[in-house]
Amino acid sequence: MKFQIQREDLLIPLQKIIGAVEKRQTMPALSNILIKADKDKISLTATDLEIELVTTLNMVADEAGDTTLPARKLLDICKALPEESSISITVDSNKAMIKSGRSRFSLSTLPAEDFPSLDSINTVAEFELPQTTLKELIDKTSFAMALQDVRYYLNGLLLEVSTGLIRAVATDGHRLAYCEKQADCDLAEIKQVIVPRKGIQELVRLLEDSEEPLKIFLGSNHIRIEVGNIRFTSKLIDGRFPDYNRVIPEDGKNRIIADRENLRQALVRASILSNEKYRGIRLVVEGDILLLQAQNPDQEEADVEVEVNYTGDTLEIGFNVNYMLDVLNVTDASTVQSTLRDSNSSCLMTYPDHPDCKYVIMPMRL
Amino acid sequence: MIIHIDMDSFYASVEVREHPELARQPVAVGGSATGRGVVAAANYEARKFGVRSAMPMTMALRHCPQLVCLPVNMPLYVEVSKQIHQIFNRYTSEIEPLSLDEAFLDVRASEKLFGSATSIARQIKQAIQNECGLIASAGVAPNKFVAKIASDIDKPDGYVVVEAEHMQDFLDPLPISRIWGVGKVTEAKLHQLGFRTIHDIRVQPVESLVQRFGKWGEHIHRLANGLDKREVVPDARAKSISAETTFAEDISNEDALLANLMQLTEQVAARCRHHGFEGKTVNLKMRYHDFRTLTRSKTLTMPTNQTEQIWQTAKQLLLKQSRTQPDPVRLLGVGVSGFRGETVQQGDLFAENDVLSPDAGAASENRYVELDRISDEINQRFGKAKIHRGRARN
Repeated sequence: MKFQIQREDLLIPLQKIIGAVEKRQTMPALSNILIKADKDKISLTATDLEIELVTTLNMVADEAGDTTLPARKLLDICKALPEESSISITVDSNKAMIKSGRSRFSLSTLPAEDFPSLDSINTVAEFELPQTTLKELIDKTSFAMALQDVRYYLNGLLLEVSTGLIRAVATDGHRLAYCEKQADCDLAEIKQVIVPRKGIQELVRLLEDSEEPLKIFLGSNHIRIEVGNIRFTSKLIDGRFPDYNRVIPEDGKNRIIADRENLRQALVRASILSNEKYRGIRLVVEGDILLLQAQNPDQEEADVEVEVNYTGDTLEIGFNVNYMLDVLNVTDASTVQSTLRDSNSSCLMTYPDHPDCKYVIMPMRL
Repeated sequence: MIIHIDMDSFYASVEVREHPELARQPVAVGGSATGRGVVAAANYEARKFGVRSAMPMTMALRHCPQLVCLPVNMPLYVEVSKQIHQIFNRYTSEIEPLSLDEAFLDVRASEKLFGSATSIARQIKQAIQNECGLIASAGVAPNKFVAKIASDIDKPDGYVVVEAEHMQDFLDPLPISRIWGVGKVTEAKLHQLGFRTIHDIRVQPVESLVQRFGKWGEHIHRLANGLDKREVVPDARAKSISAETTFAEDISNEDALLANLMQLTEQVAARCRHHGFEGKTVNLKMRYHDFRTLTRSKTLTMPTNQTEQIWQTAKQLLLKQSRTQPDPVRLLGVGVSGFRGETVQQGDLFAENDVLSPDAGAASENRYVELDRISDEINQRFGKAKIHRGRARN
């Protein structure tokens, strides 16, 4: 195998797929990337067996062939070479020679046959979506995914596709984020898939705020997304996502409408003195004043008042301040509405300007 | 120094204090003789007739026909126990209660303020007598092991101080049954080997004890040498809450093990609830007939103090273990650790019975909460009697 390539043409695709390569490996081949050179294209593949990223470069190789190279080392070499330099890669038996200007690197290779690949995924549904739509669905919800929860089905993002509508839902059991978007999809029945946390994190790096369409393929055990010259494939979490409709409360009778940025800043201020571990903050709302109170184990206290528009009874309730900030941080909406039933029940946060997102936060007892 | 305070025939003494006309009469507190009640506590007058704790009330009456039998009035004893703890609290906050009528106190940090440990022990005894009208026995020693023996050895109204330099002279002549964890079975086993006193154990090379009893051999050898590093752990700061029991006879029957496990679990869960602790990890401890000791643990999704949840987890651990190693078991223990910090409780969206809204799901789990509440109430009323019934079954 032999080809010539400009540094940037190799570096940028490498940076997009490198996230799939785990630092610690169970199989030696997994710390490598697979390079396949055909007549008119070269593809680079990285995988951790759960997700796979393939990028295809349209170029002519001097000599076809395939091999695997240590991913990090190859990336570090590309990064360290001067901008716009030309790189030549030649693979011979079990060594790869990388030359650029007056630098030469000899890297060890592993046979391409040892590299696991996920070619066919048994597609049961496919549709197109503007990149920005998927990006927004993920950006508005993925912060609520659980991290290493024993309820393994929470360690990912639910994508629910029905006719004309796609929904994303994430929850860690303490709070839930929901977002829905119109979509040009026509499915015979509602399809739900749970994409693992790492897959979502890698996927979002590939997406841009552009109307360019991407292609989504749903398989029985996989999701595949083709965006630009990159093909992303992830295994799905095999489990049942909880019925999110059951925990999104109906409109409650107590309603706080606040300027989002004012509320956010007030929460940040009060949170300085909240318990570092539990992040509890007390909200007392009476008339049109929302009082935020925090107290830490050293008995230091913060009281911050915010003017709001309130309809309802005087109410006192505790929350993890980070959960509220997470919700306020993922939007640029100007006003936020919080609906409460009582001190023990969940709070529904919505943006009157963007009715497609809903957030539910469980209170904490302080 | 460590002080061990043990109230003398606590329940019975409280009753006599409440009913002065009963002074100098044999009194027993417990279940009714017409039912199948047992003696929860007997005063020293009654003990002279051979009335003992855990004895069926009918048998107690046969030993002592003039015995005054009183029902258990647990709320009263709890109240008095609190008063006694307030007295302890004047001298130290390092209090480890073992039960309502027994506690260890670490007074090392208080000696500069209140005088020597021996003087503090005397002051506490005096205060309990003056303020509660009750008699306590006190043991003062460099560690828990020796302090507990000391408080017991001169009962009632005992007051025994064992200074570090006299500890060995104090321990050596004592029978081996004084060692914690040496019950009738182990005692007989040790007798067969020619060990009768603590001295006999102490002079053994530790290797030979380890060979026979494993790690436990090392443990009793250390105790026999007056070495006990266990700290006084106030319940409120405890990292775990556990209970264990050594059987009078080794048990290999799975049902019998489970029955014992259930009792231990109830105790542990009730103590967790009492302190408002919820733990995430359930621990099982088993010591086999040959002293092999192992622990198994399982971590739950959400911290709990529900008897049912702890029980289901402990049962799983036990069944898994007893099926891989169905050997006779001499000791069984269960514990809960990994307590949720402070009193902050984060609500759970999907919990059927959320911590914050007991009315959220009238679903199945609520029944267990209700069950726990009722059983705690019953325990408050019949606590000790219940524990005794369990032991009696063994």
